[in-house]
Amino acid sequence: MPPPSKTSGKNLEAESILQAVVLADSFNERFRPITLDTPRCLLPLCNTPLIEYTLELLAVAGVQAVYLFCREHSETIKNYIKKSKWSRSYSPIKIITIVTPEARSVGDALRELDAKQLIDSDFILISGDVVSNIQLEKVLDAHRARKSVDSNAIMTMVVKEASPFHRTRSLGESPIFVLDTKTNECVHCESVELYPRKRRMTMDMEVFKKHADVQIRNDLIDCQIDICSVEVPALFTENFDYQDIRNDFVHGILTSDLLGKTIYCHLVKDVYAARVRNLHTYNAISKDVLSRWTYPIVPDSNLQEGDSYEFMRGHIYKEKDVSLSRSCSLGEKVLIGAGTEIAENVKITNSVIGRRVTIGPNVEIDGAYIWDDVKIKSNCSIFRSILANNVVLEENVIVKRGCLLSYDVVIGPNVTLEPYTKLTKHKKTSESDNEGEESNENKAYDSTLIGEHGQGYIWSDKVSDTDDDEFDTKNIQIAGLAHDISNISLTDSDSPPSVIYESSSDELSDSGESTTEEESLKEFFKEVSQTLERAFLDGHAVEIASLELNTLRMASNTTFHDLRVGVIPTILGQIDIENLLTSAEEILEQWGPLIGKLIHSRQDQIDTLYILQDHCAIKQHHAKLFAPTLKKLYLLDVLDEDAILEWNSSELADNDSSKSSIRKKVAPFVKWLEEAEVEDSDSDD
Amino acid sequence: MTGPRDLNAQIESLVNRLRRRQVVGSWCVSIETAMLLRQVVSATRWNQVETLIKVVKEDVGRRLVMAQPRELAVGNIVCRVLRLIREVYNSEDATFDDNSAEDNDKDSNTDDDEKDEEIKSKSSQKIRTFSFYGGSGTGTNTQSSMINLLGDGSPMGAKRASVDDYRKPPNLKPLIISELQEMINELENTYVNIIDQAMEHIHSNEIIMTVGKSRTVEMFLKTAAKKRKFSVLVAETFPTYLGHEMALSLSEAGIDTTVISDSAIFAVMSRVNKVIMGTHAVLANGGLISVSGAQMVATAAKHHSKPVVVCTGLYKLSPLYPYDEDSFNDLVAPDPVFSFNEGDLIDKVTLLNPYYDYVSPELVSLFITNTGGHPPSYLYRLINENYDPDDTDI
Repeated sequence: MPPPSKTSGKNLEAESILQAVVLADSFNERFRPITLDTPRCLLPLCNTPLIEYTLELLAVAGVQAVYLFCREHSETIKNYIKKSKWSRSYSPIKIITIVTPEARSVGDALRELDAKQLIDSDFILISGDVVSNIQLEKVLDAHRARKSVDSNAIMTMVVKEASPFHRTRSLGESPIFVLDTKTNECVHCESVELYPRKRRMTMDMEVFKKHADVQIRNDLIDCQIDICSVEVPALFTENFDYQDIRNDFVHGILTSDLLGKTIYCHLVKDVYAARVRNLHTYNAISKDVLSRWTYPIVPDSNLQEGDSYEFMRGHIYKEKDVSLSRSCSLGEKVLIGAGTEIAENVKITNSVIGRRVTIGPNVEIDGAYIWDDVKIKSNCSIFRSILANNVVLEENVIVKRGCLLSYDVVIGPNVTLEPYTKLTKHKKTSESDNEGEESNENKAYDSTLIGEHGQGYIWSDKVSDTDDDEFDTKNIQIAGLAHDISNISLTDSDSPPSVIYESSSDELSDSGESTTEEESLKEFFKEVSQTLERAFLDGHAVEIASLELNTLRMASNTTFHDLRVGVIPTILGQIDIENLLTSAEEILEQWGPLIGKLIHSRQDQIDTLYILQDHCAIKQHHAKLFAPTLKKLYLLDVLDEDAILEWNSSELADNDSSKSSIRKKVAPFVKWLEEAEVEDSDSDD
Repeated sequence: MTGPRDLNAQIESLVNRLRRRQVVGSWCVSIETAMLLRQVVSATRWNQVETLIKVVKEDVGRRLVMAQPRELAVGNIVCRVLRLIREVYNSEDATFDDNSAEDNDKDSNTDDDEKDEEIKSKSSQKIRTFSFYGGSGTGTNTQSSMINLLGDGSPMGAKRASVDDYRKPPNLKPLIISELQEMINELENTYVNIIDQAMEHIHSNEIIMTVGKSRTVEMFLKTAAKKRKFSVLVAETFPTYLGHEMALSLSEAGIDTTVISDSAIFAVMSRVNKVIMGTHAVLANGGLISVSGAQMVATAAKHHSKPVVVCTGLYKLSPLYPYDEDSFNDLVAPDPVFSFNEGDLIDKVTLLNPYYDYVSPELVSLFITNTGGHPPSYLYRLINENYDPDDTDI
């Protein structure tokens, strides 16, 4: 590693040309099967290829040289760049594409970069699918300023403030950042996956020694825009096992004592920055663009040459040459590309429609992303799905939420696609049990599923073959389209994703809606009495009954207090009123210890007394039971005299006649206890 | 002279900067556009004026206008330049027609001076009639620069061997370029002519309300403040809070300034003597595209029958007509209205943050331009004088 003094000197000299490294490959398969045909950075977001947003961002920042790393579909990307405005002779940016077919990760790409020795100053490391209107010059200046103060600063990560469950924040993929409050130095970075839920994270105690004020943030969107010093690629080469920039590199640098390098975060608030990581964020970012959070990067500023979008009231964006029928209705947040024809009685809301799309009559589209040259015939409905280029929907097709129809797929007629169906024209070779194993292609299509004229195969994500990947599948599902975050957090509230969230979830459940809580409590009491009745009938031992009750308590996440409230009346219910004293003696002899099992402290004893008192006050026929029960429990050592005396001396909350009458009934007993105690103390003396 | 490649790069750069909103504000945009068009006229090769008009209008002008349709000043300047080219051509054309008969007989060298004189006088007359951008002060400038231009006519003289040669571009090119230069100078001096009128409109002890931040209004008020004492109420103009900046600048100049919240505009309007505001653009019907909040101020003023005075350079006058009131508006990021952090809500709530307001002409009492004060109903004439009807649709 070169000494820091030398490199910092070099950087001061070489500020003239600003370089950026764009990773055009995502190194994952989130967008399969669509990415079988097109690289992810060329997927259209609001009808503009993703890479345009990234290059625009770099152009605004005044970047002069861009190194574009491609792996898959490198030819497609190269051709696209060659034809685009960026490779014109007077373009301010020079784009150099570097093909690294053997690179399997970000780390590999950066090692390649280091081997080629292309970088000679601070550079911007960005992934090819970032949408942002951030002013990178400011971030660069801040990075340089930090470097002049702290010569060990090697990287600045751009993070945007949001909220933990923000739609644009990719759930399960955004790390928790631990920052120094004053300097925004990142002192710890913990990756979080939704499944398995992480309940604790370990931090080095050194952190707290060095930094007086530390904040732990779980509300930041990791924009995947990093300002890196020249050392960064070299560090990747040195540590050849680094793959991911966050999990391996940042974590490695921060935990390493030897390197002594520091990494900072640049918090942005009033500008937009986010990365299309998966289908879920694709949906969220599309919505953000349509609601103009990314201004001035909005459709009507026509990023690509030849675009002619106009903004209309109600967040409708329409290109020229769109033919709309008189009776079609466009709702909010709709974008329609040129050459599209929309027939009568069509309803479109929250959707992006590509170019040259034909939509037949009576079609309903909500929250869908329909790319170029799609044909939708009459009476179809599409909800929260993606239809790639050249997809054809015949008559009466219903596409339910979360579906992904890759290029050239044909569906219909009269078919309903179940939620989260993925279809592609590519046959999966690895799976022999697929219906597509027959060589005759036309017969290979499953016509019951995709219709008579249908063309396409079901695509299932690979992870299903391994055993321990249940979590991964779940993670992928959440990353998919149309998975409501609210649903996820509701159904899984018992296992929150992080320590930080855990506390807040407890608060939530405490203050949560009372109706549902009451219902669940009622349910719990019912189960408690059932369990006990079973125990009475079968004559279980007290230990077994108490074990059962405890399990029940844990399963429904209730307290011992609730359990006692459930148990005491049930036991008292067993006592035969006609034959009061003997029956009470019998029952309590057997089951009194069970109540004892539920009591752990003096406080619990008093609580038990109150429960008993309240119960007997409400149920008039049990009123007589109170005194004998108390006595018996005292004799069984379930309740001790101190607790009884304390309970008796406490004031009644209100002048409740029934309660005070109950107290009167035990007055002799209490008096006896008091006397006994005095005697005790006397004898002690 | 720059090559076509450089020129293309320059055009591309301006197009990009317009689109990315790196150049904002009508005045900056106008100057940049005018400079670029001067470059275009001088760098492109053209034989006929028709070609030049085509280049300016369709190649360059359209791209610039399309790059940022909300910056109406771009279109205005393009129209203005086109008009200028046409005028120069027409005046030249008329001169040649008159002289063509005699020219054939005479020796070209002998009557060079005469003709130069003729061209000079004719064209400068003609030009003076439409060149009201600079107001009264610039008339002599035009004259002198044109003498310089035509005076060094030795190469030109050599070329005037036949009648046909008169129509060749070298005669027109320098003329057009110098006219463009005039226009740019005039643009740079627009403010001077507007603020000269300040004393006529602001009187002692008046209370004046303004909204947003406009350089013209700022200078207008400061000029008046040199001689008169008056107080200014500035509406803070949520969400940009440009009013705060305005108020700061005014109070630094020693003007008695009060900032009021936008919701108080109506309440204090009864005490105000007049409203003076700037604008982003003036449309053909006299309506304004102004900072959001201006509509509220103007309506409140109308209710209380207070005059609304708009200070604007004529370069902001657009030949376009507002067919619906959203047409030239721009919706910017809703960040200042509502925080992006409210993840759940931004999904369910539609957030709008319009940057401009349309103020209809009946709410405006007077325009103070660099050529004097005009009521909204007079604007159609200014448009006819400024722009050629052929060019309104770029």
